[in-house]
Amino acid sequence: MTVLEKGARTNMAASVQSEEAGLRHLWSKFVSSPGALRLALVIGFFAAWEIYASFFANPRFLPPISEVVLSLPKFFQIRNMTLALGITAFEVAVAFVMAVAIGVAVGIALGFSRVLNQTFMPIVLLIYATPNAVFLPLFMLLFGLGVTSKIAYGFAHGVFPIIITVAAGVANLKPVLLASARSMGASRYQILRHVIFPHMLPNFFAAMRLGMATTLLGVILSELFVSQAGIGHFARLFSMTFQTVNLYALILLVTTIAIIINEILRRQEARLSKWRD
Amino acid sequence: MDCTSARPSIQALDVSKHFGTPGDKIYVQALLKTSIEIRAGELVCFIGPSGCGKSTMLNIIGGLLTPSSGSVSVMGGPINGPSPRQIAYVFQENALFPWYNVIDNIKLGMEFQGVDRAEREDRAHEALKAVGLPNFAHHFPGQLSGGMKQRVALARALSLDTDVILMDEPFGALDEQTRMVLGEDLSVLLSQTGKTIVFVTHSLGEAVFLSDRVAVFSARPGRIKKMINVDEAHPRSPDFMTSDKFGDLRNELYRQLHDEIRKTVEQVA
Repeated sequence: MTVLEKGARTNMAASVQSEEAGLRHLWSKFVSSPGALRLALVIGFFAAWEIYASFFANPRFLPPISEVVLSLPKFFQIRNMTLALGITAFEVAVAFVMAVAIGVAVGIALGFSRVLNQTFMPIVLLIYATPNAVFLPLFMLLFGLGVTSKIAYGFAHGVFPIIITVAAGVANLKPVLLASARSMGASRYQILRHVIFPHMLPNFFAAMRLGMATTLLGVILSELFVSQAGIGHFARLFSMTFQTVNLYALILLVTTIAIIINEILRRQEARLSKWRD
Repeated sequence: MDCTSARPSIQALDVSKHFGTPGDKIYVQALLKTSIEIRAGELVCFIGPSGCGKSTMLNIIGGLLTPSSGSVSVMGGPINGPSPRQIAYVFQENALFPWYNVIDNIKLGMEFQGVDRAEREDRAHEALKAVGLPNFAHHFPGQLSGGMKQRVALARALSLDTDVILMDEPFGALDEQTRMVLGEDLSVLLSQTGKTIVFVTHSLGEAVFLSDRVAVFSARPGRIKKMINVDEAHPRSPDFMTSDKFGDLRNELYRQLHDEIRKTVEQVA
Protein backbone atom coordinates (compact mmCIF):
# COMPACT_ATOMS: atom_id res chain seq x y z
CA MET A 1 0.00 0.00 0.00
CA THR A 2 1.49 3.28 -1.08
CA VAL A 3 1.27 6.35 0.97
CA LEU A 4 -1.08 7.76 -1.62
CA GLU A 5 -3.49 4.86 -1.39
CA LYS A 6 -3.41 5.03 2.36
CA GLY A 7 -4.27 8.69 2.20
CA ALA A 8 -7.18 8.05 -0.16
CA ARG A 9 -8.50 5.35 2.13
CA THR A 10 -8.45 7.50 5.21
CA ASN A 11 -10.06 10.25 3.22
CA MET A 12 -12.87 7.95 2.20
CA ALA A 13 -13.30 6.69 5.72
CA ALA A 14 -13.44 10.24 6.93
CA SER A 15 -16.08 11.22 4.43
CA VAL A 16 -18.21 8.19 5.32
CA GLN A 17 -17.73 9.06 8.93
CA SER A 18 -18.74 12.69 8.41
CA GLU A 19 -21.78 11.56 6.44
CA GLU A 20 -22.76 9.33 9.33
CA ALA A 21 -22.21 12.16 11.75
CA GLY A 22 -24.37 14.38 9.57
CA LEU A 23 -27.16 11.82 9.54
CA ARG A 24 -26.89 11.34 13.27
CA HIS A 25 -27.04 15.09 13.67
CA LEU A 26 -30.18 15.29 11.54
CA TRP A 27 -31.74 12.42 13.46
CA SER A 28 -31.11 14.01 16.85
CA LYS A 29 -32.45 17.28 15.55
CA PHE A 30 -35.57 15.49 14.32
CA VAL A 31 -36.12 13.63 17.58
CA SER A 32 -35.76 16.78 19.66
CA SER A 33 -38.16 18.80 17.51
CA PRO A 34 -41.78 18.36 18.66
CA GLY A 35 -43.10 19.86 15.42
CA ALA A 36 -41.30 17.36 13.19
CA LEU A 37 -42.29 14.45 15.42
CA ARG A 38 -45.91 15.52 15.39
CA LEU A 39 -45.91 15.85 11.61
CA ALA A 40 -44.35 12.40 11.33
CA LEU A 41 -47.08 10.97 13.55
CA VAL A 42 -49.85 12.47 11.41
CA ILE A 43 -48.21 11.31 8.16
CA GLY A 44 -47.65 7.88 9.72
CA PHE A 45 -51.31 7.67 10.65
CA PHE A 46 -52.50 8.43 7.12
CA ALA A 47 -49.88 6.10 5.61
CA ALA A 48 -51.02 3.28 7.90
CA TRP A 49 -54.62 4.00 6.96
CA GLU A 50 -53.75 3.94 3.26
CA ILE A 51 -51.81 0.66 3.47
CA TYR A 52 -54.29 -1.11 5.72
CA ALA A 53 -57.31 0.03 3.67
CA SER A 54 -55.68 -0.87 0.33
CA PHE A 55 -54.55 -4.37 1.23
CA PHE A 56 -56.37 -5.68 4.28
CA ALA A 57 -59.63 -3.90 5.13
CA ASN A 58 -63.07 -4.31 3.68
CA PRO A 59 -63.44 -1.23 1.42
CA ARG A 60 -67.11 -1.13 2.33
CA PHE A 61 -66.08 0.07 5.81
CA LEU A 62 -62.67 1.60 5.30
CA PRO A 63 -61.77 3.03 1.90
CA PRO A 64 -58.16 4.21 1.37
CA ILE A 65 -57.58 7.87 2.24
CA SER A 66 -56.41 8.55 -1.33
CA GLU A 67 -59.78 7.44 -2.65
CA VAL A 68 -61.56 9.69 -0.14
CA VAL A 69 -59.49 12.71 -1.15
CA LEU A 70 -59.93 12.03 -4.86
CA SER A 71 -63.70 11.72 -4.39
CA LEU A 72 -63.96 15.26 -3.02
CA PRO A 73 -64.70 17.04 -6.35
CA LYS A 74 -67.53 14.58 -6.96
CA PHE A 75 -68.61 14.90 -3.35
CA PHE A 76 -69.41 18.59 -3.76
CA GLN A 77 -71.62 17.77 -6.73
CA ILE A 78 -73.96 15.62 -4.67
CA ARG A 79 -77.39 17.17 -4.94
CA ASN A 80 -78.07 19.68 -2.12
CA MET A 81 -74.63 19.11 -0.58
CA THR A 82 -73.45 22.71 -0.89
CA LEU A 83 -76.81 23.84 0.43
CA ALA A 84 -76.40 21.50 3.41
CA LEU A 85 -72.91 22.84 4.08
CA GLY A 86 -74.30 26.37 3.87
CA ILE A 87 -77.14 25.62 6.29
CA THR A 88 -74.81 24.05 8.83
CA ALA A 89 -72.34 26.90 8.50
CA PHE A 90 -75.17 29.38 9.04
CA GLU A 91 -76.48 27.53 12.10
CA VAL A 92 -73.02 27.26 13.62
CA ALA A 93 -72.23 30.92 12.91
CA VAL A 94 -75.43 32.26 14.49
CA ALA A 95 -75.21 29.93 17.49
CA PHE A 96 -71.53 30.76 17.99
CA VAL A 97 -71.95 34.54 17.79
CA MET A 98 -74.80 34.36 20.29
CA ALA A 99 -72.82 32.05 22.58
CA VAL A 100 -69.77 34.36 22.51
CA ALA A 101 -71.78 37.56 23.05
CA ILE A 102 -73.82 36.22 25.94
CA GLY A 103 -71.10 33.97 27.31
CA VAL A 104 -68.56 36.81 27.48
CA ALA A 105 -71.04 39.25 29.05
CA VAL A 106 -72.19 36.76 31.68
CA GLY A 107 -68.63 35.52 32.22
CA ILE A 108 -67.36 39.05 32.90
CA ALA A 109 -70.22 39.71 35.31
CA LEU A 110 -69.64 36.43 37.17
CA GLY A 111 -65.88 36.93 37.23
CA PHE A 112 -66.21 40.46 38.50
CA SER A 113 -68.89 40.32 41.16
CA ARG A 114 -68.28 37.97 44.03
CA VAL A 115 -71.97 37.93 44.95
CA LEU A 116 -73.09 37.06 41.43
CA ASN A 117 -70.39 34.43 41.21
CA GLN A 118 -71.37 32.75 44.46
CA THR A 119 -75.04 32.87 43.51
CA PHE A 120 -74.98 31.70 39.92
CA MET A 121 -71.71 29.88 39.26
CA PRO A 122 -72.85 26.66 41.00
CA ILE A 123 -75.90 26.59 38.72
CA VAL A 124 -73.76 27.16 35.63
CA LEU A 125 -71.37 24.40 36.66
CA LEU A 126 -74.26 22.06 37.40
CA ILE A 127 -75.88 22.59 34.00
CA TYR A 128 -72.48 22.23 32.34
CA ALA A 129 -71.90 18.93 34.12
CA THR A 130 -75.18 17.33 33.06
CA PRO A 131 -75.01 15.17 29.93
CA ASN A 132 -77.02 17.62 27.87
CA ALA A 133 -77.73 15.21 25.04
CA VAL A 134 -80.81 14.20 27.09
CA PHE A 135 -82.17 17.71 26.56
CA LEU A 136 -82.01 17.39 22.80
CA PRO A 137 -85.56 15.97 22.37
CA LEU A 138 -86.77 18.82 24.55
CA PHE A 139 -85.18 21.35 22.21
CA MET A 140 -86.94 19.71 19.26
CA LEU A 141 -90.19 19.95 21.14
CA LEU A 142 -89.70 23.59 22.05
CA PHE A 143 -88.07 24.93 18.90
CA GLY A 144 -89.38 22.60 16.22
CA LEU A 145 -87.45 20.54 13.72
CA GLY A 146 -86.04 23.41 11.67
CA VAL A 147 -83.03 25.66 11.84
CA THR A 148 -84.10 27.30 15.12
CA SER A 149 -83.76 24.22 17.28
CA LYS A 150 -80.30 23.51 15.85
CA ILE A 151 -79.16 27.04 16.61
CA ALA A 152 -80.66 26.87 20.08
CA TYR A 153 -79.01 23.55 20.83
CA GLY A 154 -75.67 24.70 19.43
CA PHE A 155 -75.90 27.84 21.54
CA ALA A 156 -76.76 25.85 24.67
CA HIS A 157 -73.69 23.71 24.05
CA GLY A 158 -71.37 26.61 23.37
CA VAL A 159 -72.33 29.17 25.97
CA PHE A 160 -71.42 27.35 29.19
CA PRO A 161 -67.75 26.63 28.55
CA ILE A 162 -67.43 30.26 27.42
CA ILE A 163 -69.01 31.60 30.62
CA ILE A 164 -66.80 29.43 32.81
CA THR A 165 -63.54 30.18 30.98
CA VAL A 166 -64.15 33.92 30.76
CA ALA A 167 -65.21 34.16 34.42
CA ALA A 168 -62.03 32.37 35.47
CA GLY A 169 -59.99 34.78 33.35
CA VAL A 170 -61.55 37.87 34.89
CA ALA A 171 -61.43 36.61 38.47
CA ASN A 172 -57.66 36.43 38.79
CA LEU A 173 -57.04 40.08 37.87
CA LYS A 174 -54.72 41.78 40.39
CA PRO A 175 -56.81 44.29 42.43
CA VAL A 176 -53.96 46.82 42.36
CA LEU A 177 -54.37 47.18 38.58
CA LEU A 178 -58.00 48.17 39.06
CA ALA A 179 -57.13 50.55 41.89
CA SER A 180 -54.42 52.06 39.73
CA ALA A 181 -56.78 52.58 36.76
CA ARG A 182 -59.46 54.05 39.02
CA SER A 183 -56.99 56.42 40.67
CA MET A 184 -56.06 57.81 37.26
CA GLY A 185 -59.70 58.46 36.44
CA ALA A 186 -60.47 55.55 34.11
CA SER A 187 -64.12 55.21 33.14
CA ARG A 188 -65.94 51.89 33.27
CA TYR A 189 -65.50 51.48 29.54
CA GLN A 190 -61.79 52.34 29.74
CA ILE A 191 -61.31 49.82 32.55
CA LEU A 192 -63.05 47.18 30.45
CA ARG A 193 -61.08 48.03 27.33
CA HIS A 194 -57.60 48.57 28.78
CA VAL A 195 -57.55 46.46 31.93
CA ILE A 196 -60.09 43.65 32.04
CA PHE A 197 -60.12 42.76 28.37
CA PRO A 198 -56.35 42.52 27.81
CA HIS A 199 -56.04 40.62 31.06
CA MET A 200 -58.60 38.00 30.06
CA LEU A 201 -57.50 37.81 26.43
CA PRO A 202 -55.83 34.38 26.70
CA ASN A 203 -58.92 33.01 28.41
CA PHE A 204 -61.12 34.75 25.88
CA PHE A 205 -59.42 32.89 23.05
CA ALA A 206 -59.49 29.62 24.96
CA ALA A 207 -63.23 30.27 25.46
CA MET A 208 -63.72 30.93 21.74
CA ARG A 209 -61.94 27.71 20.83
CA LEU A 210 -63.86 25.65 23.36
CA GLY A 211 -67.09 27.41 22.41
CA MET A 212 -66.57 26.80 18.70
CA ALA A 213 -65.91 23.10 19.25
CA THR A 214 -68.95 22.64 21.49
CA THR A 215 -71.27 24.73 19.29
CA LEU A 216 -70.27 22.66 16.29
CA LEU A 217 -70.90 19.54 18.32
CA GLY A 218 -74.34 20.76 19.36
CA VAL A 219 -75.42 21.69 15.85
CA ILE A 220 -74.21 18.47 14.22
CA LEU A 221 -75.65 16.38 17.05
CA SER A 222 -79.10 17.86 16.57
CA GLU A 223 -78.80 17.47 12.79
CA LEU A 224 -77.95 13.82 13.24
CA PHE A 225 -80.91 13.40 15.53
CA VAL A 226 -83.50 14.92 13.24
CA SER A 227 -82.45 14.57 9.63
CA GLN A 228 -83.93 17.22 7.42
CA ALA A 229 -81.08 19.37 6.30
CA GLY A 230 -77.47 20.20 7.04
CA ILE A 231 -74.45 17.95 7.02
CA GLY A 232 -75.73 15.89 9.94
CA HIS A 233 -78.51 14.77 7.65
CA PHE A 234 -76.02 13.64 5.01
CA ALA A 235 -73.81 11.94 7.57
CA ARG A 236 -76.76 9.80 8.62
CA LEU A 237 -77.79 9.17 5.06
CA PHE A 238 -74.28 8.08 4.03
CA SER A 239 -73.88 5.72 6.95
CA MET A 240 -77.29 4.09 6.47
CA THR A 241 -76.79 3.59 2.73
CA PHE A 242 -73.17 2.39 3.03
CA GLN A 243 -71.73 5.33 1.04
CA THR A 244 -68.57 5.09 3.10
CA VAL A 245 -66.35 7.11 0.77
CA ASN A 246 -68.76 10.02 1.00
CA LEU A 247 -69.06 9.61 4.76
CA TYR A 248 -65.28 9.75 5.14
CA ALA A 249 -65.14 12.74 2.80
CA LEU A 250 -67.68 14.53 4.95
CA ILE A 251 -65.79 13.72 8.16
CA LEU A 252 -62.53 14.83 6.57
CA LEU A 253 -64.09 18.09 5.44
CA VAL A 254 -65.66 18.99 8.80
CA THR A 255 -62.50 18.04 10.68
CA THR A 256 -60.36 20.16 8.38
CA ILE A 257 -62.65 23.18 8.77
CA ALA A 258 -62.67 22.79 12.57
CA ILE A 259 -58.87 22.55 12.64
CA ILE A 260 -58.50 25.63 10.43
CA ILE A 261 -60.82 27.73 12.61
CA ASN A 262 -59.03 26.56 15.73
CA GLU A 263 -55.67 27.37 14.22
CA ILE A 264 -56.75 30.87 13.14
CA LEU A 265 -57.91 31.58 16.70
CA ARG A 266 -54.70 30.17 18.17
CA ARG A 267 -52.48 32.32 15.94
CA GLN A 268 -54.51 35.41 16.70
CA GLU A 269 -54.12 34.67 20.38
CA ALA A 270 -50.36 34.23 20.07
CA ARG A 271 -50.10 37.51 18.15
CA LEU A 272 -52.01 39.43 20.82
CA SER A 273 -50.22 37.92 23.83
CA LYS A 274 -46.68 38.79 22.75
CA TRP A 275 -46.13 40.74 25.97
CA ARG A 276 -46.14 37.50 27.93
CA ASP A 277 -42.58 36.57 26.95
CA MET B 1 -39.08 72.91 54.85
CA ASP B 2 -37.64 76.06 53.42
CA CYS B 3 -39.40 75.84 50.08
CA THR B 4 -42.82 74.99 51.48
CA SER B 5 -45.55 77.53 51.82
CA ALA B 6 -48.03 77.64 54.67
CA ARG B 7 -50.98 76.87 52.37
CA PRO B 8 -52.54 73.53 53.37
CA SER B 9 -52.59 71.05 50.53
CA ILE B 10 -54.21 68.13 52.30
CA GLN B 11 -56.54 68.44 55.27
CA ALA B 12 -57.98 65.41 57.05
CA LEU B 13 -60.36 66.01 59.91
CA ASP B 14 -61.38 63.36 62.45
CA VAL B 15 -61.18 60.55 59.94
CA SER B 16 -62.38 57.17 61.20
CA LYS B 17 -62.64 53.98 59.22
CA HIS B 18 -63.91 50.58 60.16
CA PHE B 19 -64.36 47.49 58.04
CA GLY B 20 -67.31 45.15 58.52
CA THR B 21 -70.14 45.77 61.01
CA PRO B 22 -69.65 45.89 64.80
CA GLY B 23 -70.03 42.45 66.35
CA ASP B 24 -68.78 40.69 63.23
CA LYS B 25 -65.79 38.41 63.45
CA ILE B 26 -64.01 40.40 60.78
CA TYR B 27 -64.91 43.80 62.23
CA VAL B 28 -61.85 46.04 62.34
CA GLN B 29 -61.55 49.60 63.57
CA ALA B 30 -58.65 50.67 61.34
CA LEU B 31 -58.59 54.41 62.05
CA LEU B 32 -60.01 56.44 64.90
CA LYS B 33 -60.53 60.20 64.65
CA THR B 34 -57.29 60.94 62.87
CA SER B 35 -56.51 64.48 61.76
CA ILE B 36 -53.56 65.80 59.79
CA GLU B 37 -52.72 68.89 57.82
CA ILE B 38 -50.10 68.70 55.10
CA ARG B 39 -48.70 71.86 53.55
CA ALA B 40 -48.21 72.30 49.82
CA GLY B 41 -44.80 71.07 48.72
CA GLU B 42 -44.26 69.08 51.86
CA LEU B 43 -43.17 65.44 52.00
CA VAL B 44 -44.80 63.59 54.88
CA CYS B 45 -44.11 59.95 55.69
CA PHE B 46 -46.65 57.73 57.43
CA ILE B 47 -44.91 55.13 59.54
CA GLY B 48 -46.33 52.65 62.01
CA PRO B 49 -46.83 49.00 62.85
CA SER B 50 -48.47 46.66 60.33
CA GLY B 51 -52.21 47.09 60.17
CA CYS B 52 -52.18 50.45 61.96
CA GLY B 53 -54.23 52.10 59.23
CA LYS B 54 -51.54 54.16 57.52
CA SER B 55 -52.36 52.73 54.09
CA THR B 56 -56.06 53.11 54.88
CA MET B 57 -55.45 56.78 55.65
CA LEU B 58 -53.54 57.17 52.39
CA ASN B 59 -56.35 55.56 50.39
CA ILE B 60 -58.94 57.77 52.05
CA ILE B 61 -56.91 60.84 51.09
CA GLY B 62 -56.69 59.44 47.55
CA GLY B 63 -60.44 58.82 47.41
CA LEU B 64 -60.06 55.07 46.82
CA LEU B 65 -61.73 54.42 50.20
CA THR B 66 -64.59 56.33 51.81
CA PRO B 67 -64.13 57.22 55.47
CA SER B 68 -66.73 55.91 57.94
CA SER B 69 -66.76 59.39 59.45
CA GLY B 70 -64.74 62.56 59.15
CA SER B 71 -63.70 64.40 56.01
CA VAL B 72 -60.75 65.00 53.73
CA SER B 73 -60.08 67.91 51.42
CA VAL B 74 -57.28 68.35 48.92
CA MET B 75 -56.36 71.81 47.65
CA GLY B 76 -59.50 73.10 49.30
CA GLY B 77 -61.91 70.71 47.57
CA PRO B 78 -63.61 67.81 49.37
CA ILE B 79 -62.61 64.29 48.37
CA ASN B 80 -65.50 62.00 47.45
CA GLY B 81 -63.73 59.59 45.11
CA PRO B 82 -60.63 59.39 42.95
CA SER B 83 -59.39 62.85 41.94
CA PRO B 84 -57.08 62.14 39.03
CA ARG B 85 -56.53 65.83 38.27
CA GLN B 86 -55.06 66.48 41.71
CA ILE B 87 -53.76 63.18 42.98
CA ALA B 88 -51.46 60.57 41.42
CA TYR B 89 -50.54 57.24 42.96
CA VAL B 90 -47.51 55.00 43.16
CA PHE B 91 -48.40 51.60 44.59
CA GLN B 92 -46.22 49.08 46.37
CA GLU B 93 -46.94 46.24 44.03
CA ASN B 94 -46.10 46.61 40.42
CA ALA B 95 -49.21 48.39 39.13
CA LEU B 96 -48.08 48.75 35.52
CA PHE B 97 -50.27 47.08 32.93
CA PRO B 98 -48.16 44.14 31.75
CA TRP B 99 -49.81 44.06 28.32
CA TYR B 100 -48.63 47.56 27.40
CA ASN B 101 -45.04 48.68 26.99
CA VAL B 102 -43.49 51.36 29.17
CA ILE B 103 -44.40 54.37 27.08
CA ASP B 104 -47.96 53.16 26.48
CA ASN B 105 -48.40 52.59 30.21
CA ILE B 106 -47.45 56.20 30.88
CA LYS B 107 -49.60 57.53 28.05
CA LEU B 108 -52.57 55.44 29.15
CA GLY B 109 -52.53 57.14 32.56
CA MET B 110 -52.84 60.50 30.82
CA GLU B 111 -55.58 59.13 28.57
CA PHE B 112 -57.54 58.05 31.65
CA GLN B 113 -56.93 61.47 33.15
CA GLY B 114 -58.14 63.20 29.99
CA VAL B 115 -54.95 64.75 28.57
CA ASP B 116 -55.04 65.60 24.86
CA ARG B 117 -53.56 62.94 22.62
CA ALA B 118 -51.05 65.34 21.11
CA GLU B 119 -49.61 66.21 24.48
CA ARG B 120 -49.27 62.66 25.84
CA GLU B 121 -46.25 61.56 23.82
CA ASP B 122 -44.00 64.47 24.83
CA ARG B 123 -44.97 64.39 28.45
CA ALA B 124 -44.45 60.62 28.62
CA HIS B 125 -40.93 60.87 27.20
CA GLU B 126 -40.12 63.78 29.48
CA ALA B 127 -41.25 61.85 32.56
CA LEU B 128 -39.30 58.79 31.47
CA LYS B 129 -36.19 60.92 31.12
CA ALA B 130 -36.76 62.40 34.57
CA VAL B 131 -36.60 58.97 36.19
CA GLY B 132 -33.51 57.99 34.19
CA LEU B 133 -35.06 55.46 31.82
CA PRO B 134 -35.22 57.27 28.45
CA ASN B 135 -34.05 54.17 26.59
CA PHE B 136 -36.68 51.77 27.89
CA ALA B 137 -39.78 53.25 26.28
CA HIS B 138 -40.55 50.14 24.27
CA HIS B 139 -39.76 47.51 26.86
CA PHE B 140 -42.59 45.61 28.47
CA PRO B 141 -42.87 45.65 32.27
CA GLY B 142 -42.02 41.95 32.35
CA GLN B 143 -38.59 42.79 30.91
CA LEU B 144 -37.70 45.27 33.68
CA SER B 145 -36.25 44.78 37.16
CA GLY B 146 -38.32 45.62 40.23
CA GLY B 147 -36.53 48.93 40.71
CA MET B 148 -37.02 49.93 37.08
CA LYS B 149 -40.72 49.09 37.26
CA GLN B 150 -41.12 51.42 40.21
CA ARG B 151 -39.24 54.13 38.34
CA VAL B 152 -41.71 53.75 35.48
CA ALA B 153 -44.60 53.88 37.97
CA LEU B 154 -43.10 57.11 39.32
CA ALA B 155 -42.72 58.47 35.78
CA ARG B 156 -46.40 57.70 35.16
CA ALA B 157 -47.36 59.57 38.33
CA LEU B 158 -45.14 62.54 37.40
CA SER B 159 -46.54 62.71 33.86
CA LEU B 160 -50.03 63.22 35.29
CA ASP B 161 -48.80 66.60 36.53
CA THR B 162 -50.80 66.54 39.78
CA ASP B 163 -50.17 68.66 42.87
CA VAL B 164 -50.19 65.60 45.09
CA ILE B 165 -48.51 62.20 44.77
CA LEU B 166 -49.46 59.43 47.16
CA MET B 167 -46.93 56.63 47.49
CA ASP B 168 -47.92 53.41 49.22
CA GLU B 169 -44.65 51.71 50.20
CA PRO B 170 -43.35 52.23 46.69
CA PHE B 171 -39.99 50.61 47.45
CA GLY B 172 -41.38 47.99 49.83
CA ALA B 173 -40.74 45.06 47.52
CA LEU B 174 -37.19 46.11 46.57
CA ASP B 175 -33.86 45.13 48.08
CA GLU B 176 -32.09 47.49 50.48
CA GLN B 177 -29.51 48.76 47.99
CA THR B 178 -31.95 49.47 45.17
CA ARG B 179 -34.11 51.20 47.74
CA MET B 180 -31.30 53.48 48.83
CA VAL B 181 -30.50 54.59 45.29
CA LEU B 182 -34.17 55.13 44.46
CA GLY B 183 -34.62 57.12 47.69
CA GLU B 184 -31.73 59.43 46.81
CA ASP B 185 -33.00 59.93 43.27
CA LEU B 186 -36.50 60.57 44.56
CA SER B 187 -35.21 63.25 46.93
CA VAL B 188 -33.45 65.05 44.07
CA LEU B 189 -36.42 64.71 41.74
CA LEU B 190 -39.01 65.90 44.22
CA SER B 191 -36.98 68.88 45.34
CA GLN B 192 -37.29 70.14 41.76
CA THR B 193 -41.01 69.59 41.34
CA GLY B 194 -42.46 71.15 44.49
CA LYS B 195 -45.16 68.50 44.76
CA THR B 196 -46.92 67.49 47.93
CA ILE B 197 -46.03 63.90 48.74
CA VAL B 198 -47.46 61.44 51.22
CA PHE B 199 -45.30 58.38 51.53
CA VAL B 200 -46.17 55.24 53.47
CA THR B 201 -43.15 53.23 54.60
CA HIS B 202 -41.97 50.62 57.08
CA SER B 203 -38.38 51.79 56.91
CA LEU B 204 -37.15 54.17 59.62
CA GLY B 205 -34.17 55.28 57.56
CA GLU B 206 -36.29 55.94 54.49
CA ALA B 207 -38.74 58.01 56.55
CA VAL B 208 -36.02 60.22 58.03
CA PHE B 209 -34.11 60.53 54.79
CA LEU B 210 -37.08 61.61 52.66
CA SER B 211 -39.49 63.44 54.96
CA ASP B 212 -40.06 66.98 56.02
CA ARG B 213 -42.25 65.50 58.71
CA VAL B 214 -42.88 61.95 59.87
CA ALA B 215 -46.31 60.95 61.17
CA VAL B 216 -45.98 58.06 63.63
CA PHE B 217 -49.14 55.94 63.78
CA SER B 218 -50.21 54.10 66.93
CA ALA B 219 -51.21 50.44 67.05
CA ARG B 220 -54.80 49.64 66.02
CA PRO B 221 -57.13 51.49 66.14
CA GLY B 222 -54.73 53.77 64.30
CA ARG B 223 -54.29 57.43 65.05
CA ILE B 224 -51.34 59.74 64.68
CA LYS B 225 -49.37 59.49 67.87
CA LYS B 226 -46.61 61.98 67.11
CA MET B 227 -45.28 64.20 64.35
CA ILE B 228 -41.50 64.42 64.03
CA ASN B 229 -39.87 67.29 62.17
CA VAL B 230 -36.85 66.64 59.96
CA ASP B 231 -35.38 70.08 59.47
CA GLU B 232 -33.05 69.48 56.54
CA ALA B 233 -33.04 71.01 53.07
CA HIS B 234 -33.84 69.00 49.95
CA PRO B 235 -32.30 67.47 47.95
CA ARG B 236 -30.61 65.44 50.62
CA SER B 237 -27.22 63.97 50.00
CA PRO B 238 -26.03 60.56 51.12
CA ASP B 239 -23.89 62.43 53.70
CA PHE B 240 -27.06 63.28 55.58
CA MET B 241 -27.56 59.58 56.18
CA THR B 242 -24.30 59.30 58.10
CA SER B 243 -24.76 62.51 60.13
CA ASP B 244 -25.45 62.60 63.90
CA LYS B 245 -28.69 64.45 63.21
CA PHE B 246 -29.92 61.58 61.05
CA GLY B 247 -28.96 59.06 63.72
CA ASP B 248 -30.68 61.02 66.47
CA LEU B 249 -33.90 61.37 64.48
CA ARG B 250 -33.85 57.72 63.55
CA ASN B 251 -33.41 56.75 67.21
CA GLU B 252 -36.22 59.05 68.25
CA LEU B 253 -38.46 57.46 65.63
CA TYR B 254 -37.47 54.01 66.82
CA ARG B 255 -38.38 54.89 70.45
CA GLN B 256 -41.76 56.19 69.31
CA LEU B 257 -42.47 53.12 67.23
CA HIS B 258 -41.11 50.40 69.45
CA ASP B 259 -43.97 50.32 71.96
CA GLU B 260 -46.57 50.43 69.20
CA ILE B 261 -44.98 47.53 67.36
CA ARG B 262 -44.93 45.53 70.62
CA LYS B 263 -48.60 46.30 71.17
CA THR B 264 -49.45 45.17 67.66
CA VAL B 265 -47.57 41.89 68.07
CA GLU B 266 -49.40 41.28 71.34
CA GLN B 267 -52.76 42.06 69.69
CA VAL B 268 -52.08 39.44 67.10
CA ALA B 269 -50.64 36.86 69.54
